[in-house]
Amino acid sequence: MDATESEGGLGNAGVYVYQSRKPANVQRGRSSKKRKVVQSQNDASLLFVPLLDGKEDAGLVKLRYATFQKLWLKHEERIRNILQDIDSRIFEDLASFVNTASLTAGRIPTALVTIGSNVSCLTRLLERLASDKAKAVVVVLDSGDAPSLKTALKNIIRTAITNAEGTEQYQKILNDRAGPRLLPYDLNILHEYVRKKDTRRLVIAFQDSEAFDQTLLNDLLSLIRYGGWTALCNASVTSLNPSSSWLDRIPFVLLFGIATSSELFETSLPQSTASLIQGRCFEMHDVGGSIDRIYESFQTGPDVKLWLGHRPSSFLFQKSRDYFQSPEGFACQVKYAYMSHFFANSLSVLLSDDISTASPSRAELCQAVRNLPSFRCFCERLLEIDRHNEVHDLLEDDAHLFKETIRMLNSGQCRMGNLFQAVKAILILQTHLKMSKTNNISTLSVRALAGDLRASATVKEILAEMKKLDSESLQLLLSQIRKELGHCDVFQELQKELASFLKTEKVTGSLRSKHGNNSHYIMKTSTVRRANLGKASTGLSGKDLRYSDLLDRLHATLEKFFTTMLINPQDLFLNEIFLFDLKNPLKDTFTPRVRFAIERALSTPFDYLMPMSDEVEGHLSAGQPPTAILYQLYLESGSLVNTYDLWKAFYTIIGGEETGDERLTFTLFYQALSELKALGMVKSNRRRIDHISKSAWKGL
Amino acid sequence: MKREAPDSPNSPDQGISMPKKPKTALVHDRTNGTLSSRTGLTPQKSTAFANNLNPSKLRTPTRKSQAKSLFSTPRGNSGEGDRGSRTKNADQSAKRKSALVLFEQSEDEFWDGADRLAEEILEEESDASTNHEEEGEEIVTTGARGTRAPTDATDTPRHRPGRPKGSKNRRSPTPEGELPPHERYFFQNRAGPPQTSNYSLSRVSLLTHEEYFENRARYHDPHLEEKDFLLELHRRSFPQWNFEFSEQFNICLYGYGSKRRLVLEFADWLHDRYAPSPPTIVVVNGYKPNLSIRSIFATIVGAILGSDTPSKLGAQPTEVLEFLQSAVRSRRSQSRVMVLIHSIDAPPLRRMAHQALLARLAATPSIHLLATADTPNFSLMWDLTLRDQFNFAFHDCTTFAAYEAEWTVVDEVHQLFGRRGHRINGRDGVGFVLKSLPENARSLYRILLIELLSAAGGLAGSDDEDAGENAVRREEGGARREAVIEFRTLYQKASEEFIASSEMMFRTLLKEFHDHQMITSRMDASGAEILGVPLSREEMEGVLEDLVMN
Repeated sequence: MDATESEGGLGNAGVYVYQSRKPANVQRGRSSKKRKVVQSQNDASLLFVPLLDGKEDAGLVKLRYATFQKLWLKHEERIRNILQDIDSRIFEDLASFVNTASLTAGRIPTALVTIGSNVSCLTRLLERLASDKAKAVVVVLDSGDAPSLKTALKNIIRTAITNAEGTEQYQKILNDRAGPRLLPYDLNILHEYVRKKDTRRLVIAFQDSEAFDQTLLNDLLSLIRYGGWTALCNASVTSLNPSSSWLDRIPFVLLFGIATSSELFETSLPQSTASLIQGRCFEMHDVGGSIDRIYESFQTGPDVKLWLGHRPSSFLFQKSRDYFQSPEGFACQVKYAYMSHFFANSLSVLLSDDISTASPSRAELCQAVRNLPSFRCFCERLLEIDRHNEVHDLLEDDAHLFKETIRMLNSGQCRMGNLFQAVKAILILQTHLKMSKTNNISTLSVRALAGDLRASATVKEILAEMKKLDSESLQLLLSQIRKELGHCDVFQELQKELASFLKTEKVTGSLRSKHGNNSHYIMKTSTVRRANLGKASTGLSGKDLRYSDLLDRLHATLEKFFTTMLINPQDLFLNEIFLFDLKNPLKDTFTPRVRFAIERALSTPFDYLMPMSDEVEGHLSAGQPPTAILYQLYLESGSLVNTYDLWKAFYTIIGGEETGDERLTFTLFYQALSELKALGMVKSNRRRIDHISKSAWKGL
Repeated sequence: MKREAPDSPNSPDQGISMPKKPKTALVHDRTNGTLSSRTGLTPQKSTAFANNLNPSKLRTPTRKSQAKSLFSTPRGNSGEGDRGSRTKNADQSAKRKSALVLFEQSEDEFWDGADRLAEEILEEESDASTNHEEEGEEIVTTGARGTRAPTDATDTPRHRPGRPKGSKNRRSPTPEGELPPHERYFFQNRAGPPQTSNYSLSRVSLLTHEEYFENRARYHDPHLEEKDFLLELHRRSFPQWNFEFSEQFNICLYGYGSKRRLVLEFADWLHDRYAPSPPTIVVVNGYKPNLSIRSIFATIVGAILGSDTPSKLGAQPTEVLEFLQSAVRSRRSQSRVMVLIHSIDAPPLRRMAHQALLARLAATPSIHLLATADTPNFSLMWDLTLRDQFNFAFHDCTTFAAYEAEWTVVDEVHQLFGRRGHRINGRDGVGFVLKSLPENARSLYRILLIELLSAAGGLAGSDDEDAGENAVRREEGGARREAVIEFRTLYQKASEEFIASSEMMFRTLLKEFHDHQMITSRMDASGAEILGVPLSREEMEGVLEDLVMN
């Protein structure tokens, strides 16, 4: 094997640049040049593999990739806008603080940003701040950048200059200076630079302020405030002349990202330091809201083509509940779902707008459609209503099937859109009817996608509440829905109907529903209630009764609306194409069960090593890999293991006594033991000789 | 240490150091040896004891004894009398208890001895019949398990590959049945003396590097085909990984087995796929102990810029990283850079600071990171921010491949056994170091060796007299007896020979040895410094020979 040979030289180095190991490559390179395949690195043909057993048309592969790109770019844009929108308020606050903070008050202006779990938010803000037109230079300092004061200063100076000017300029400023050469941590460099560039503000952002060394922060702050190295050395800071302060020479503004709370942060600083800063608190919003908004944009945006099914959706929300997660991270996971869909589903190409004009061979594609489970259901349903010819055509005629597929695909997408319209409507109704238990968009969507919202208590409750509304609040509600949902016909009609009714009846006040419980009156006293109970139905005027009839009609319409809209997406024909409903790609990729995988590999190795022969043995057997055997013995042992016993047991199981090759078995034992050690499962024990202690327990 | 009474009927009384103990072990060893040489059985005390209780089981002692040898090795079993007498025990005074234990112990041994003798005789008598019976049983069981059945009827059933049937539950310290993981943890960590035997590895000679590699080369892996198949499965996801890279994901491969080969094959694949203008691929061997994070960045810079690399990059990894990032930014059109890191969780890279830098590298656009991780808990290295920066897509790539390059097996195991000494370099290594040292350092080492060897010579003599050497050694404080010399003595010798005129100088010389791990030093009970050499006697002799010759 030439691989192992050539590894010899390179494998020994810590880092090396890969060189092709195959000398035959020259020839290959030439042949490919002949084919003139000089293309950009992101070419579809290099990224996507032909599916359908490799028979997929190259044009379709390309189209598939292009569709993905197009679809995703749109979403990316939308996400960026959402995030910007969410951040905009706090960003404006922060920017105005940075620009207007007074530097003459003798204290360092400081922004204390409570970020909580929303870590990525600060990064976004700082990026925006740096790219802002205001003449603020932003230096982001990580706790790792500041192991000591000198390094911290050096990093501040270097980053401040290189961010704007580049590395060469920094070297130049450092070296080509008139007068004595300054050390790289001398703030004079920064001072000169700031003066030259007329920088208005210099923001030093401490991203993870809790992780910074307290004494270092202390020193840094006093240095900025009181200036001079001597200040640090003498420690008698107060006696120094305040005019040596850097603050009036360099326009420092500090920014602390705080994960806990500003009070805690303040208490962690010594009194003397805390008094150096003039702080203002900024509160970041929670992640949850932005995640919901991003999700909504994925599912209900104007030209969505692919929806996430309930399995991936519930997984995503579960994960964002269980772990801290940035909105970007969330978007990335959705992106991965999109990627999986387009990468591995050859039919996803049908989502392209250009599919009908693209005219490569469709035979394979049609065959793939015929293999879909939903196609089968569709045909069965057609057969039930005796449309045999239709089914026959679908099965035999590619052109017909293709046309039908496109048509059904569009109708399916339409119905998905409707589904989310209904979800939105429920959401609005819920909040307006002041229902006892309101669900947020995420739970509602997941339930709708699973198809169990139609008969749910939520919908029933909404319908029941609708019946009790009086005419005024109904009017208000309908106009509200129309405002938010826009083009939804059902509600438009309802509103029209109500308006014409009110017009013809010439209603001035509010009409009551006969189903209404008029809680105002009833709840007052028990006697009044008793009296009112009698009146409740009798006290209704004729108009009220006619209004109630109208309400009943509205109720029926709405009920119909919900039953038709809240379909189960899995029942739709071609749902495999426009619905991504696989959980595993996301789950395996983003919440790996690493420890479980290793434990499983070692305790039941034949899950992975598919036995080529039929000899399958359940438990410990010599047939297993040595490490697996040792691991299983190890699992049974106590917390302290005698290595000699372990070796003997291992030897017995391997069956070394039969083969008689003790040293070979011992070699395997060595190898297995070293692996267990490297996996962190055993460690040496100092107290007893030749004993090792166990440090991992399976399944814990 | 001294426990008054066994806390449970099953718990053996090895904790009490009995004067007769060594002898027991000795007797036991002998029987063991003779028996096993004949029949391959290792009847032991508990077997004998069980037989004593139920004579009907006498016929088939094999299963038990086989089982016995499985995991922990035998000890004296507690007497019959204290079975189920826990409450009684608790009521007794300490003195009475110890007296009782003493009494029972000796009685036990007596019984044991007699029993073993009886058993031996019985074995001899009923050898044939027992074997026949067992043969029958064996055939049934093996037939059921689908392994090979013995063909030769007169063949004594020996240890066959695989765990002897039914032994698991009886012998292992883990009780029968499937315990939930937490129960198992508490069970295995329960209080009481450790339930392990007194045997030590001195019974086998440890492997040297040469022997290890020799044997390793001889070994034919029975699962080669399956492993190749597994690798082939992983290979099929290469295009997928490539796509993930192109969408700004980084990839982390986990699972059991070395993923080196797989990753290198991926590099080959990438190279071929983009044949005319392959992407730049930088490979990092994260497990190399001398790996520095700066060198990673510097190599990447070199790979990107080629001959334009500035001669001075800065000493801080951060500086190099920032330079790298600006270089990448300015060369946007340039092809992407793949960084393949083997074992990102290996000790050289494990530190938080390093991971933070790597995360920043990974977050750089047009740099793609493929990392492999071996340990089960590697994801603990990354907090929320790092995880976001890495933006990993994880893939289970269990390969079952041996870790050949990642670590040195023999060194690791010896370290685990607490035999650091055997590692470093052995005789050749020490010789090599000595050659580069000045004359008086060599003389000092020579004196040290001579002293040690003469001391060891005395030791060995006394040891050989005692056949039960293991037991004797154990009695003397656990550690294997190593020839040592006191610091003072050595210094005196050295100054007598005019090697070191002052203690300062003497220490300087020793420091050199220390740095090369050619000597060991520790404090003894009285606080005096004790020096030793981490070499076996033969090796010491060899080194001394070389020293004297030159």
